[in-house]
Amino acid sequence: MTKKIVSFSIVIVLLLVSAVYAATTGSIKMGFFEFIGALFDEGNSQMEAIRDLRFPRIIVALFAGAALSVSGVLLQSVMRNPLADAGVIGISSGAAFVQLFIISFFPALFFMTPVLAFMGGAFACALVFALSWKSGLSPLKLILVGIAINAMFTGLTETFISLGGSLNTSASSVIGSNLTMRTWKDVSTIVTYGTVGLISAFALYSWCNLLVLQDKTAKSLGFHVARARLIIAAVAVLLSAVSVVVAGVISFVGLLVPHISRRLVGHDHKVLIPFTALAGALLILVADTIGRTMAAPLEIPASTIMAIIGGPFLIFLLRKE
Amino acid sequence: MEIQDIIVSHDNTRNHLDGVSTTIQKGKITTIIGPNGCGKSTLLSVMSRNNIPISGNASLENKDLVHYKAKAFAKKLAIVYQQNDVPKDLTIEKLVSFGRLPYRTMLKRNEEEDAKAIEWALACTNLLEKRDNDLEALSGGERQRVWIAMALAQQSEILCLDEPTTYLDIYYQIELLELVKALNEEHGLTIVMVLHDINQAIRYSDQIILMKAGQIIAEGAPRNVITREVIKEVYSVEAIFNEDEQHGFYMVPLGI
Repeated sequence: MTKKIVSFSIVIVLLLVSAVYAATTGSIKMGFFEFIGALFDEGNSQMEAIRDLRFPRIIVALFAGAALSVSGVLLQSVMRNPLADAGVIGISSGAAFVQLFIISFFPALFFMTPVLAFMGGAFACALVFALSWKSGLSPLKLILVGIAINAMFTGLTETFISLGGSLNTSASSVIGSNLTMRTWKDVSTIVTYGTVGLISAFALYSWCNLLVLQDKTAKSLGFHVARARLIIAAVAVLLSAVSVVVAGVISFVGLLVPHISRRLVGHDHKVLIPFTALAGALLILVADTIGRTMAAPLEIPASTIMAIIGGPFLIFLLRKE
Repeated sequence: MEIQDIIVSHDNTRNHLDGVSTTIQKGKITTIIGPNGCGKSTLLSVMSRNNIPISGNASLENKDLVHYKAKAFAKKLAIVYQQNDVPKDLTIEKLVSFGRLPYRTMLKRNEEEDAKAIEWALACTNLLEKRDNDLEALSGGERQRVWIAMALAQQSEILCLDEPTTYLDIYYQIELLELVKALNEEHGLTIVMVLHDINQAIRYSDQIILMKAGQIIAEGAPRNVITREVIKEVYSVEAIFNEDEQHGFYMVPLGI
């Protein structure tokens, strides 16, 4: 019990510290107290810039991290597989491709991007499921199928961009998994859909807990396994789709964060889901802030940093399997 | 439970159950035996609705099994499967509490009833002291009891057990069968189980259903079902039978 409280406290404190650090570091610098004072000072011009440029970026990073990590927890529960991650198994790239494809041909549908991304993600998720179902969702098989699906959608997206990148300028914003130039409009998208997704995920915690049982055992308890799987998977896809729309494809978050979270707070989804959300938010914010400040004025995208940390981590998990 | 002309096929080429009819008597221990692949586990899974037959029907209390809602059926019949994955980081009490799922809805649960049922299930299976332990920390025999406790928490009238003794050593086998017997005698549960050991089936059953190649060869009281001829026919094994005051009726297999 105390381990859980300590873990929660540490993550929350780190989250606050990183948020303040991220807001005060960069080309415009501010001290902590100066920042706190400026928060309540309407006329501060430096603060205006921070408000317009850094706050959206920070909020997007926090929500994208939380959404992707919780999406990972849900997918791992639905697929009974510790290696499932929306980025690794192609759900994110499916979402990105379908969104890009439709918007290029029907730019009028731009306002529907989250829905389109959701459809793409759901399609990729259904493919992964269908193709690895026969092997009883064995962890390795699922990852292999997922990597293939991911490669396919990434390839399609790249082909599409090479052929007609100039077709539509909104296309490039879909693909760039960089958190620069996020606006308050992006914030409202990710906060709206992200909050819905995160609350739904938490509401489903008892179902996630029941999915540790074998299907036939869960069924014998009167539990509608297939229905629960479908609903949980839909929430997972929603969470990853919305983060793709706003922050682009970021892999490995949904793999790394849940795994470490389980070590810290255990397997009960009632605790695991909220903790994962916080830890995921922290990780992406830190990754983005490091990428932004390490070699300023050059920027390394958060997704690149995640790939550098995440790749070896996946190998580590595979070796343990 | 009434079973009539059930036909089941897993692959649509061969019938794994080929026109099976029987009646499971309330308040009795019924054991299904037979060689590997004879369809005994399949028959059990028809009773627990895990297998949907191609034709024929199974009914409980004059109501077709398929007409029961999932949770309503879970209150009538509980089943423990042969092999269960062991979830990580889950205490025994938590796992047993899953057995209360049929009594819960999204908005409603009766905490008091749940606690009582869980307490009873843990007491029956002699797990009260270990309730806070993780499942991973237990021996095979204890784990099997935990799964039974979860099924007991469903407070169903019928308890099905698919080869409950298969992966246990002899001590735990007997301990488990004594538990089954006690559940039947003291709590009036109707038991349907699949066993491999013929002597255990003889000793612990009121009724035996003997199967071969998807069909029932014989059924009834152990003494009437298990004979030299039938064992020879079904298992191709020569055996002699004995009965004495001390040990009751038992079989000694001689050879093939």
